[in-house]
Amino acid sequence: MNSDLEKNPEAAAASEPRAGDGSRRDFLMKLGIGAGITALAGQTVASLRSLVPNVSYDAPTTVKLGLPTDFPDGLKFLPNERLFVFREGKTFHSISAVCTHLGCTVRAEALSKVETEDVSGKSLRLTHRYLCPCHGSEYKGDGTNVSGPAPKPLEWYELSLAPDDGQLVVDLAKPVGHDFRLTLA
Amino acid sequence: MEKRTDSPYPRKDLPILAIIGVLLVISTIVFAVTDHRKDWRYYQAEFKKMVAEKFGAEKAATIPSGMKQIWVPDMRRADRCITCHQGILWKGFETADHPYKTHPPEPIRTHPIEKYGCTSCHGGQGFAVQSQEAHGPVKFWEEPVLGKSMGEGYSLAGDDKGALIQMNCNVCHRFDRETKGMDMINHAKKLVRDKGCRACHVVNSRGGTIGPDLTFVGDKAAEQYDMSRLGGQKTAFAWHVSHFKNPKEVVPDTVMPNFGFGTKDAQSLAALMLSWKRAPVPVDFRPGVARTDPQTAEEVADEQRMKTGPGAWFVKTGCFICHSVSSLGVKSAAQIGPDLSTAVEDTQSRFGKTVDDFVKNPTGTMSVVLTRQIVLTDQEKEVAIQKLREAYAEHQKQKAAGTAATASGGH
Amino acid sequence: MSAKPETSKPEAPGVHEKPFWSLRPKSDRQAGDAVVSNFLLHWFPAKVYKPSLDWNYSFWLGTASAALFLLLVLSGLPLLLLYVPSVERAYGSVKDIEFVVTFGWWIRAVHRIAAHLMVAVVFLHLVRVFLTGAYKNGTGRGQHREWNWVMGVVMILLTLFLSFTGYLLPWDQLAYWAVTVGTNIASSIPFVGPDVRELLLGGRTIDQATLIRFYVLHVIFLPGGLGALLAYHMWRIRKDGGLAKADREVLETTRKEAAPGKTKTYTLLGVARGTSPLVRASSLERSELTVNSVNDLVRRVYIVVLGTFAVVSILACFIPSPLEEPANPMITPNPAKAPWYFLWLQEIVTDTTVKIGSFTINGAFLGGVILPGILLTALTVWPWLDKSPMEAAGAWFHASRKRQNAIFLIVVAIILAFTIVGTFMRGPYWHFFWPWQAWPELPTRI
Repeated sequence: MNSDLEKNPEAAAASEPRAGDGSRRDFLMKLGIGAGITALAGQTVASLRSLVPNVSYDAPTTVKLGLPTDFPDGLKFLPNERLFVFREGKTFHSISAVCTHLGCTVRAEALSKVETEDVSGKSLRLTHRYLCPCHGSEYKGDGTNVSGPAPKPLEWYELSLAPDDGQLVVDLAKPVGHDFRLTLA
Repeated sequence: MEKRTDSPYPRKDLPILAIIGVLLVISTIVFAVTDHRKDWRYYQAEFKKMVAEKFGAEKAATIPSGMKQIWVPDMRRADRCITCHQGILWKGFETADHPYKTHPPEPIRTHPIEKYGCTSCHGGQGFAVQSQEAHGPVKFWEEPVLGKSMGEGYSLAGDDKGALIQMNCNVCHRFDRETKGMDMINHAKKLVRDKGCRACHVVNSRGGTIGPDLTFVGDKAAEQYDMSRLGGQKTAFAWHVSHFKNPKEVVPDTVMPNFGFGTKDAQSLAALMLSWKRAPVPVDFRPGVARTDPQTAEEVADEQRMKTGPGAWFVKTGCFICHSVSSLGVKSAAQIGPDLSTAVEDTQSRFGKTVDDFVKNPTGTMSVVLTRQIVLTDQEKEVAIQKLREAYAEHQKQKAAGTAATASGGH
Repeated sequence: MSAKPETSKPEAPGVHEKPFWSLRPKSDRQAGDAVVSNFLLHWFPAKVYKPSLDWNYSFWLGTASAALFLLLVLSGLPLLLLYVPSVERAYGSVKDIEFVVTFGWWIRAVHRIAAHLMVAVVFLHLVRVFLTGAYKNGTGRGQHREWNWVMGVVMILLTLFLSFTGYLLPWDQLAYWAVTVGTNIASSIPFVGPDVRELLLGGRTIDQATLIRFYVLHVIFLPGGLGALLAYHMWRIRKDGGLAKADREVLETTRKEAAPGKTKTYTLLGVARGTSPLVRASSLERSELTVNSVNDLVRRVYIVVLGTFAVVSILACFIPSPLEEPANPMITPNPAKAPWYFLWLQEIVTDTTVKIGSFTINGAFLGGVILPGILLTALTVWPWLDKSPMEAAGAWFHASRKRQNAIFLIVVAIILAFTIVGTFMRGPYWHFFWPWQAWPELPTRI
């Protein structure tokens, strides 16, 4: 503050110089402006924090799909879960219908000739291929991406049976390998 | 250099400036701390300790923390009860205190919490996460938790002080004649039948018009009741209790007779009255509401007759959905498949197989049906063959009789 | 110790080398430059009259109103993202803000308290301007303070309407019935009333159409309009030569002495002042009468704005915002009250239904339309009715305005009294209760 007084001698003289007066004022100014800005910054952060949701209104990721007997042999598309569920007699598996490129729902198209192929060490009947309406990605029957911008295969999700009522349950948060099968007893 | 005009203000204003800055900082700290201080943080920490004690720290680490809710879009309920009541789905806290206590498994097996939430049965303010606001009674929330303390407040007759919850059960179960576990409401429903309330009142669009229509009496606002002659609690429930005990005391010019209801009767009936609400419950939440297209009486009678007749096996097994068995009096509504009366010779002409062979190794549509829809064990297959033969035998007999009849008629 | 020359490096005039503005201007020129070259400060004059800065002249009510408006906009931003304007979800989203959004209760309380305070402070600002005769012109040329007064009247109406539209948004019983009562006052206007109400509600009942109308008015049109008017209001103050108090000071000092002051290269008050022989521009610049806006005015504005924020922020920590039961058209709460700033009207409409022979005039029309209409008209045209001398401008309770001040204060007192009675002394069925009398216990369901 001394330098200020030097630069501003008249002002210093006019304001009846007292020891510590200038530094006290300087401190008060810094305190006032600093505290004000700090508090406003804190309140701004608080306002931004309010935008981070604390509770979820999303649908749960574990969904009961119905009794296994309600599923026909072959493919059944569940639009709510965006999921293809396949049944081959007593074995089930499910493939996501969400395109891995940008998340549109792919469409299943039945193949004219059913093929059986070895996928991840297990044989799998390939009955369909999947086409994405958004950017033309194409996937094989087991979900492998074959053309278009899709960067990776469609997800497979874990299926299980609900212990209470025996319904088929999918866990949309639990991707599994292409050798996953749920086999009923 | 030009002189800067002198000013008296810095000395006056800077202290004010500093004070205001500090005040603002204090207020920021106050609201941040207030926001952090929540009941649920304490309960979650306690529950974690309990789990760690009982099942080990590893298990305790899996307990989610923070505010949680069950969102039931069908009923537009966001119930945050599970934020504090974390133990409801855990086994092993059956004897613990609230809010850590395990929920009795039976009701939530039939009413899964992800479909029903908590408040649709228990009442309370699901939005709230603070104990007082959540349980009530609290201003501006009409549904307090219908728990034991509420029942004790009304000196409920009987041992079950938590029986008031049945008012909420009956919002869905109102058309049940009797519901398991709803003794209070069941008692009231029985009284409604026995005492002939419908002589004067419309209930569920049936009854007399001397008294008011009671179908949705539970929707009547508390303010619409005349409570001026009521001692004690000024609530719609208390009004109904008094009114059932002695109608004239509450409404002097009423024509409703005094039925001499005891405390238990009056309280049960009052609970029943308040449960008759026009509640926004989706149809699949209501038991007893038929969700199939109804059959005509004739169709029902036909099916019943077929089930007890000689062709009962074909009906029970499900063959009759596609096939008639005319010789045994079984008539299929669809008749997609051929009449099974002649199956024994049909399989030969159609598939070149004996009926035994066909049932054991079916081809075509029947191969799909018999592997998927009607899966028969080997033993059952033997029964099937036998039944088919019986039907054929009957067919032969009828045919012979028919020919004989025509022959004799011809003579 | 001699001052080091500032001009060691050549300075382009009007170019302020600091990115913000100097907290410690070393010369008057630097202080003036700070105003001219800074976007935030450019609507300040370079120098202000000391008396204009007095705490006890204006009580800084206008600045406080503007600060509250700013705070309302700021606190409205997060609410804009958290609130859902649909009849199914509005109530739930406000409950969420109250219970599960971090700091949501505080943001909502800030918004609500700031809104209530803004109605009060804007009203007090109007009272202050009236009592000081600040809508009167002084000696300057091109002054039209009466225009700013009319603008202020429009702005207080906008403030009320902003507050009123915000009332409906939580979609609770309070909201629903306050708006029912409020819009029915509008519908009692003869001939056009019902149409006005239908246009306002988007139908004949308060429903989704009403909610979205009130919402859009509340978040776009009304704040936008108020913001634009506020900017013009501020600009006119400079155009009119600052506060009326400044005019008065000029009048007094120039009367005492007419000695010319120093000449300056820039116009101090930033406006074209009159060139009448009585007042010389130069006489305004006497250094003992003025101070630099930077920092003395800036500092006080900072104090008032931050002080307003601090008051609201502290109140918001301790005053919870009510949220009643969800709106229910089938049940009218008892009592059903309009927002508090309309309660004087509700109080009046209770008593003004008159019967002349077989002819009945609805109280809502007489008390809710005619009476406030008369008051509003009188208020608007008052500067033209006020024939007091120029000296009365900018002085509290000037002797020449004794009678009009008295009339004004009586009307204000009546409005306040009715507001207080309506707010605190009206219970169920609009019966009168003293504040210490308990209301009859309201029944509940269970």
